[in-house]
Amino acid sequence: MELLLLILPVFFALSVLILPQSFVRVFGILSALVTLGLTAALSCSYQVNGGMHYFLNQEWISNLGLTLTFGYDGIALMMLLLTSGLVSLIFLSNWGRELASNKAFTSMVFLMQFGLTGVFVALDAIWFYAFWEITLIPIFLITWWYGAPERKAALMKFFIYTFVGSIAMLASIIGLKAFAPSFAYMDLVNVMLEDKQMAVWLMGGFFLAFAIKIPIFPFHTWQPDTYSKAPMAGTMLLSGIMLKMALYGMIRWMLPLFPEALECTAMPILVLATIGVVYGAIIAIKQNDMKRLFAYASMSHVGLIAAGIMTNSTDSISGSVIQMINHGLVAVGLFLAVDVIERRLNTRDLNELGGLAKTAPKFAFWFAALAFASVSVPFTSGFIGEFLLIKGVYDYNWILGIVIGTTLILGAVYTFRAYQMSMYGPVKHESFTDLHWSEIIVFAIIMVVVVVLGVYPTAIMDFIEPSVKSIMELATSTPMK
Amino acid sequence: MSVAQILPLVIALPLIGAFINGTIGKRLSKMAVGTIATGVMLVAFVLALMAFFSVQHGQAVNIRLFTMLKTEAFSLHAGLLADNLSLWMTLIVTGVGTLIHLFSMGYMKHDDGFYKFFVYLNLFIFAMLILVLGSNYFMLFFGWEGVGICSYLLIGFWYQDFKNTLAARKAFIMNRIGDLGLLVGLFLILSKFGTLEYSELAAAFNAGAISSGEWIIFGITACLFIGATGKSAQIPLFTWLPDAMAGPTPVSALIHAATMVTAGIFLTVRSNYLFEASPMTKEIMLYIGLATSIIAAFIAMRQNDIKKVLAYSTVSQLGMLFVALGMGAYTAAMFHVTTHAFFKALLFLGSGSVIHAMSDEQDIRVMGGLRKKIPVTHFTFLIGTLAISGFPLLSGFYSKDEIIAHAFMHGKWLYVALMFSAALTAIYMFRLYFVTFWGSFRGTHEQEHHVHEGPLSMTLPLIVLSVLSIFGGILNLPGIFLHGQAHWMGHLFKHNVAGMNALPEHKEDANLALMLMIAAAAMSLVILIVTFVVYGKKGSLPKNDEAVSGWERLSANKLYFDELYNALFVKPVLWISEKGSKYFEGLFLHRGVVGIAQGISKSGELVRKWQSGRTDSYILWMVFGIIGLVVYFLIYKN
Repeated sequence: MELLLLILPVFFALSVLILPQSFVRVFGILSALVTLGLTAALSCSYQVNGGMHYFLNQEWISNLGLTLTFGYDGIALMMLLLTSGLVSLIFLSNWGRELASNKAFTSMVFLMQFGLTGVFVALDAIWFYAFWEITLIPIFLITWWYGAPERKAALMKFFIYTFVGSIAMLASIIGLKAFAPSFAYMDLVNVMLEDKQMAVWLMGGFFLAFAIKIPIFPFHTWQPDTYSKAPMAGTMLLSGIMLKMALYGMIRWMLPLFPEALECTAMPILVLATIGVVYGAIIAIKQNDMKRLFAYASMSHVGLIAAGIMTNSTDSISGSVIQMINHGLVAVGLFLAVDVIERRLNTRDLNELGGLAKTAPKFAFWFAALAFASVSVPFTSGFIGEFLLIKGVYDYNWILGIVIGTTLILGAVYTFRAYQMSMYGPVKHESFTDLHWSEIIVFAIIMVVVVVLGVYPTAIMDFIEPSVKSIMELATSTPMK
Repeated sequence: MSVAQILPLVIALPLIGAFINGTIGKRLSKMAVGTIATGVMLVAFVLALMAFFSVQHGQAVNIRLFTMLKTEAFSLHAGLLADNLSLWMTLIVTGVGTLIHLFSMGYMKHDDGFYKFFVYLNLFIFAMLILVLGSNYFMLFFGWEGVGICSYLLIGFWYQDFKNTLAARKAFIMNRIGDLGLLVGLFLILSKFGTLEYSELAAAFNAGAISSGEWIIFGITACLFIGATGKSAQIPLFTWLPDAMAGPTPVSALIHAATMVTAGIFLTVRSNYLFEASPMTKEIMLYIGLATSIIAAFIAMRQNDIKKVLAYSTVSQLGMLFVALGMGAYTAAMFHVTTHAFFKALLFLGSGSVIHAMSDEQDIRVMGGLRKKIPVTHFTFLIGTLAISGFPLLSGFYSKDEIIAHAFMHGKWLYVALMFSAALTAIYMFRLYFVTFWGSFRGTHEQEHHVHEGPLSMTLPLIVLSVLSIFGGILNLPGIFLHGQAHWMGHLFKHNVAGMNALPEHKEDANLALMLMIAAAAMSLVILIVTFVVYGKKGSLPKNDEAVSGWERLSANKLYFDELYNALFVKPVLWISEKGSKYFEGLFLHRGVVGIAQGISKSGELVRKWQSGRTDSYILWMVFGIIGLVVYFLIYKN
């Protein structure tokens, strides 16, 4: 049953290629809903006790130390739900576009889902690495095939960055394996590194891979370029789910694997993340390309999540999971809003926009709702997430807490600048068709989830907290045996 | 119905109204939309009244709705607290709110966004009620930010004029600066007490968890006060409030005069025992309040926009309230909050009626002579002016006098400073009144032809509010009128206020109070006569913008606060943003990476292959990588 998580996306990715063109659109959504249903069913049957549910756990190539270890806990399930949910939303948001009936595109999205699912359930470092790399193929191809004309340079940059990161992570995995019987998660966790310096270096490998993908300042310059050159679905995949892999990797792998190194690396990483939060927000203020603006905004938001994770406390890691879900949803929504504008007017330059609220009131409403969600006002899940995260950072170091808290202020500056310059002011474009029903559904689903989680976050908290606690035990206690 | 059933309903009603109008309001008639929105407010007010009377002499009621968040260290509950303080605020919010909803039905009649306006208004009331009725600081913060959102939406209501939306953004951002302070305050409370519930906090405090003067208590109160300076427009975060006048006038009356801006006062009164334990914060509060009061009053002297004058007047009155809080005169502050809600709402609605009559003209220099043309507005505006100027026996007279009496006992210089602020208030208010309503009409012919009194929905709230402005003082008559009996409101806040169960109260000497009252009354009368002679009889007019000089120029240009903030904060951030994206992002990081890439590509043909961008070659490399890994391990293992 659980193996279907991995099998279904591959099956869908292949079968869509032989379907007749006219079925592709419906097939995409229905298949995505099937995986969503499957994930939901697994979540319901999961025993909420923080334990790891292994659905595959056996030796594989034992003389290499490779195992077949796959499983999930509450956090992984949340990520899986987010992935399958967002994939459905991405298909739905493409409903009225040509891309929706494109076989290769649909196939690549499912391949992406396959890779992401693998990353979230892999409990063997090599499998984790392999799935991590697999996700690159679809995002690369989607951008290559459907991206903006100037995508080449951006893709090159994206590649250099992620490649360097991946290599570093691979080196670290191999290095750590030298102390463990196999690549299996628990074996690696139980490694006790005597040499602090060694621990820091090995952790650095993981960190580099994650820091680039998140991205943490100053490893971020691939991101605005890639975001703005990728097609909208690609940007949604990148910001909605792909960077969550890295945050998830920090929680699942980096903290429990190297508790020895955490002591001396937490602070520098926190400082970098904090700089990134403020810097990203400040740069976003003056951007005129809406996609670039939200790319920097995204960098600012996820920097806070990374900082919260590095404080290594139960509350802030729970907060980071909530915030990951929130950011995934809101980022997809915001990029869809940008796409709505770009598709109708062929521009996303703020200087050329204005007065859309008059011609498209429905769009104005949903975009405004998302803007508020993005600045994390109360009644949205972003508030709960940011409350826990900022509190975590504040408790760790009050100066960093206050500096990182300025994201509340700066976030309002760039978000509302973008919103007001595009939606308010005198009408500049007379013809602007209001939202299509498929777009309204996407916006509505996002907002409903965001508000429900904002008012009743306990629903998720109870689900993830036991898992967070057991990870914390791994990350803090010295390994036994 | 018990209070535990009534209160959730009081909060839910405005939300229901907003939901109905938000979903089907577009298809309903304007009459229906307005009736729904005003109706839910009226019902909420009646229910709040019921709750108030059942709790008034009894026990505070703590209602826990559900647990929002439970972690190892703390839990945050959605709960409501009904005590005399929260219910009194609820009465103000729903009572004045109902009147302003009614007024808006007439005022916004010709607006396309009629239904949207009422959705926002109802949402605002919903958030405001959460703010005052919440049982913990977390709920307060929910409402706190919620009213900020509604304020943003309503200031920028006429969004097609980009200027309005800028004002809205400014308000939101400045409020957020305060919010961050408040948030840090919440963290501090959590780390010290492990709870945000008012009742648990007070219990911990009473049990002696903290001794007075500890730095953490200073930290907590200072952070709460930073939050209050944002929402209640105190120095240094006050410049958003005058700009917020860009919104429709009923909004200014409801949000930016009667309710939202008093949230900071409410927060302080709610946390009174914490502030009592931190004399330093109280001192800071007193000085900031005093400075705000005088500076804002000074700026109001030479403003010519009818709403701007009232806005600065609000800032000035709020400053006076913080002086009261800084002296520990909590009951006096709540009294003045109440009367201020009456007469400032009245003045704003009156100015709305004037603007409505003048076809959206706000400059008092082109008004004049409106006394006979719109008599109801004129008469009610006069009452409001008299009330705020401290004219004897009107509500503002009593409430302001109580603060001034406290100041007299606190220190003679403070008394003089507050009297100065009060004198400025009387001067600019009478100037506003005489220039607007006396003399001859100075507008265009079209405007003159069009001047008319609003419909009953507009005049009725004016009349009700002017009655309240006259008799509001009865709520807390000074002791000398009652033969030394306790004041009604003083009595109200003497018991059943969660926290210390009573607001700290200072006794005052009856003879002294009488003397101070006579002095204040004499001053307001003298100012009335002088301004009447200058503006009413001689008909002097405010000068044109170019003609002003000296102190008038400073006042007219708002003491250059906006320019100062621009140079200090806005410009530097924008500079970093622009240069950062150009040089740091563009040249340093981008060039760096591209440089490395080029270096690599020059050094070998191999790298050039995958740089060509062919994906198949990348996959090939990945396979190579994995093979390499396997080979490495085969060697390694053996």
